Amino acid sequence: MEQGVSTISQALISQTMISQSLISQSLIAAWTLVAVAFFALAILVYAAIRSRSRRVDLEKAVETFRSLDIEAFRNLVDSAEEAFLRDNLTPRKFREIKRQRAWAALIYAWEAGLAATALAKVGQSAQRSSDPEIAATGLQVAESAFRLRLQTIGACFHLLTEVVLPGVRSRSLPPLVDQYERTAETLFRLGRFSSGMHRLVRSKGA
Amino acid sequence: MLSMNWLRLLALLLWTSPHVFLGILAVVSWKRRLYREFPVFFAYILCEIAGFVLLVALYSNPGAGKQYAYAYSAMLLLSIVLRFGVIDEVSKDLFRESQFLKLAARRSLQGVTGLLLMIGVLLAVYAPGGSGARLTAGIFVVDRGAAMVQCGLLLALLLFSRFFGLSWRRPAFGIALGLGILTSVDLAFSALRAEFSSGVWTEFLNFLVIGAYLICVLIWIGYLLAPEVGPASVTVIPRDEVEIWNREFRQFLKH
Repeated sequence: MEQGVSTISQALISQTMISQSLISQSLIAAWTLVAVAFFALAILVYAAIRSRSRRVDLEKAVETFRSLDIEAFRNLVDSAEEAFLRDNLTPRKFREIKRQRAWAALIYAWEAGLAATALAKVGQSAQRSSDPEIAATGLQVAESAFRLRLQTIGACFHLLTEVVLPGVRSRSLPPLVDQYERTAETLFRLGRFSSGMHRLVRSKGA
Repeated sequence: MLSMNWLRLLALLLWTSPHVFLGILAVVSWKRRLYREFPVFFAYILCEIAGFVLLVALYSNPGAGKQYAYAYSAMLLLSIVLRFGVIDEVSKDLFRESQFLKLAARRSLQGVTGLLLMIGVLLAVYAPGGSGARLTAGIFVVDRGAAMVQCGLLLALLLFSRFFGLSWRRPAFGIALGLGILTSVDLAFSALRAEFSSGVWTEFLNFLVIGAYLICVLIWIGYLLAPEVGPASVTVIPRDEVEIWNREFRQFLKH
């Protein structure tokens, strides 16, 4: 009899503990959601304030883009150069140098991405021009800048892998970039991205 | 007694005023022919007004408590569906100028939606918020999940626009901003409402939500009435460096 009572009380205690843990789990979830909601609210308010006060110096953005040295970037990611270094340096030294080169290239790619964002704004601004020629060029600049922005992200991931794992030789394409390539190729065939962009458009205000 | 009356009056005023402003918003949208560009948003406004009229009619009838609960639930579900439509409308407007982004962003947004839905379902399973009547509790859990997905989608749109340097049109940004604030407050409210169903808490949370709703409607009116910023003056410069970088990155990634 006593044993039976003790079994029931044990069962009740464990049931109470389970329900208490469920309640606390539920409470934690609720307060987490409240925190997430406030975070989202803060971002929205920030976006609203920024959209009112932001004045982008597009002329400066174009200059920044031009200041990026494409030759230096090309050199940093050159596979022949890498092979030369691999053959002539000790593995330890090679990894160290490769990490530094990848890091420098990563900074280039990142900056190019930021410049692409700024150029996309230039393109969109030009798209709204009353001059049809400028509007058409603006469209091409914007499309090209969007593609570049996406490519820089692929390149950044790629280079980040090289920074973390400098000894790894194989470089597989990230799926996102792979997907992008297919889409871009299709559109290229359709003639949307033909290399008819002869002019960049510079805007004086946002 | 007096304070109770004041409280009731304030509640009634707060409940009524957003819908009066919604009426003004509907007129503004109609006059500016914004219903052509944002038909779902226009339908959402009309639905909110119609829902309010129906709920007031049921609320004033003392014997229609159950009908009120059913009508409230139905209107809430309809509102959730329409809000998804509004988000779709806003995203289409944001990516309107780029064929490339339409494809890329659609895929990314599908991914984000899938992820958010999964989190919403997991939350509904692991934190169902069992207090209160069954229908009400269920509705609040659905509302919480939907608010989370919608808030996440709107934030994703904001991030996309910032990431790609996309320029919002003023009405679309206003709609997204208002809806974003509404859904984030709704998320916090429904999360707390599922846990705390006592009278004092409910009253307090209701005040907050209606206040937030009023702010959102005012944001919508403000942005829809404000004139669109004209295009910036542009001049042409003769070089094509974006393509060189494009080619270089493509070559690097193919390597």
